[in-house]
Amino acid sequence: MQNIIESHHLTKTFRSYEKNPGLWGAIRSLWYRPYKENHAVDDFNLQVKPGEMLALLGPNGAGKTTIMKMWTGIIVPSKGQVQVIGHDPWKRDKQFRKKIALVMGQKSQLWWDIPALDSFLLLQKYYEISDYDFKQRLEMLSSLLQVQDKLKIHVRKLSLGERMKLELLASFLHSPEIIFLDEPTIGLDLVAQENIRNFLLDYHKLHQCTIVVTSHYMADVEALCKRLVLIIGGTKHFDGPIEQFTQILGKNKIVTFNFSSPMQQSSSLWQDFEPSWNELRTQVALRVPMDQIKAVTVNILNNFPVSEFSTEKLPIERVMKKILENPSLTGPKGPMSL
Amino acid sequence: MKNVGKWIQTIHVWWGQYTAYRLNFFLQVIGPALVFFFVKFSLWTEIYHNMGPDSTIGGFTLNAMLQYHGWALIIAMLTQGHVNFDLSNDIRLGKISTYLIYPFDFWEYHTAGFLAFQTLEWPIAFLTGSILLFFSIIHLPALLPFLGILVLAVFLSFLWFTLQYLAGLVAFWLEETWILRVLFTIVATFLSGAIVPLDLFPKWFSSLLLYTPFPYMLYYPVKVAMGFVTLESKVFFIVAAWTLVFAIINRQVWRRGLRLYTGAGM
Repeated sequence: MQNIIESHHLTKTFRSYEKNPGLWGAIRSLWYRPYKENHAVDDFNLQVKPGEMLALLGPNGAGKTTIMKMWTGIIVPSKGQVQVIGHDPWKRDKQFRKKIALVMGQKSQLWWDIPALDSFLLLQKYYEISDYDFKQRLEMLSSLLQVQDKLKIHVRKLSLGERMKLELLASFLHSPEIIFLDEPTIGLDLVAQENIRNFLLDYHKLHQCTIVVTSHYMADVEALCKRLVLIIGGTKHFDGPIEQFTQILGKNKIVTFNFSSPMQQSSSLWQDFEPSWNELRTQVALRVPMDQIKAVTVNILNNFPVSEFSTEKLPIERVMKKILENPSLTGPKGPMSL
Repeated sequence: MKNVGKWIQTIHVWWGQYTAYRLNFFLQVIGPALVFFFVKFSLWTEIYHNMGPDSTIGGFTLNAMLQYHGWALIIAMLTQGHVNFDLSNDIRLGKISTYLIYPFDFWEYHTAGFLAFQTLEWPIAFLTGSILLFFSIIHLPALLPFLGILVLAVFLSFLWFTLQYLAGLVAFWLEETWILRVLFTIVATFLSGAIVPLDLFPKWFSSLLLYTPFPYMLYYPVKVAMGFVTLESKVFFIVAAWTLVFAIINRQVWRRGLRLYTGAGM
């Protein structure tokens, strides 16, 4: 199958100048501007197949958004090749623009001073959607998102969660082949986050479109994407399935045991697994190699008064945090072995 | 046909935005007329009174001067009501990212906004004109020149729009364009004869101005409305040619600017 996104040696360089703080800095900057070149994206290669759900992860300023902007044709690459759905995005053909959608969690695309429905009618014209299709999709999307009663309210009067749902609705109306979501759940409460995740999953199941997501919420990534691309300093540090990502720091899992009484004695049962205790010594977290989990758990359950035990919910979050704290754990050529 | 639908719907959306804030809209409607009466009317009346009865300035009596400024107000409303629109913010704050994604171009979106504004502003200009007529400040020319002036006003409004668009596009290079746009508006207002009639400028200067679009933007249609000059068809060509020149410049500037665009904050 042909790839829907092809990027080879994609590079984007920005020029900015440094200014010292204060009045003197401002005046001095009138004639003295030491320009600095900044490689926001550096030699980035990636192929994406149609129908994939892909997450771009990385710390703030890693270049995720810049890559998205190049894929959607908003900015022109400084170097390298890029093809999306067989088009050069930066040429911005109208045919290309009809096939893509971009949702930005931090920026509203709906017209602020009019009800969302008016914006949707405008988009119907822009994307040349027939009245029949428009009605059907509007019904389908507004019931999936549960916003039927919000369509005629001025956008500026809606809550952030409601507005975000309508932003999504607006972007999906024309059934795009590829959808870029830049932090779609930012600032939303837990229920709203989950609603949006469920919507994306349901929609993807129905339409099999390609979805590219950036997010700082690992729950988003875990729920939505099978494939994960880690970007640090504008270069790719990891590309592969999520399961593989959770194991790049070692094939260990964190297992937590709660005991009904404090455990004073040390035991060889946990001594080898980097135990970390709570203050009362009623809870311990162990790093257990995958292949020993069963044996170790059974052993502890049999020999100690365990009231509860659990394996970690979001291993991806732990791994991500480690990598953000110490980016050198992964290299541009992929994870380094530990 | 599909394209016409896009334009009409966009104009609808712009109407919704222009009229969203009622007080703001109302002030925009009556603002220019109030400024005329409180500033220009009283200023010129005072100047002429101090000079004594029957005095003239550059051949203008008080009544002629008031009529000149009355027509200047109407022509300005018909042609440049839209000048306050601010494209540069869209660029500076990264709002154009949205329009770069839609299959309807940024210039199309803003041109539709301009047309939407004109459809609201023209009835207001007619209303203001009727008030000035009622107080005998201006007098209606014959039907044919009057219609000619209206057609010329349509041409001129496009010229103003392309110029204003260019001033906004500079935001690709300069981060703040407000001063630039204010300067441009003041210079254009002055050179087009909106502050004092061009008759009061030195001869060499006003003949030099004829090589620029400025005299045709206000001074000329006002003189036609007052019956001092007959409307020549070449003026339409001159205005159309200048508009075309600026439209082409805009296109080139847009293309170059877009290469620099970073989509601030996305």
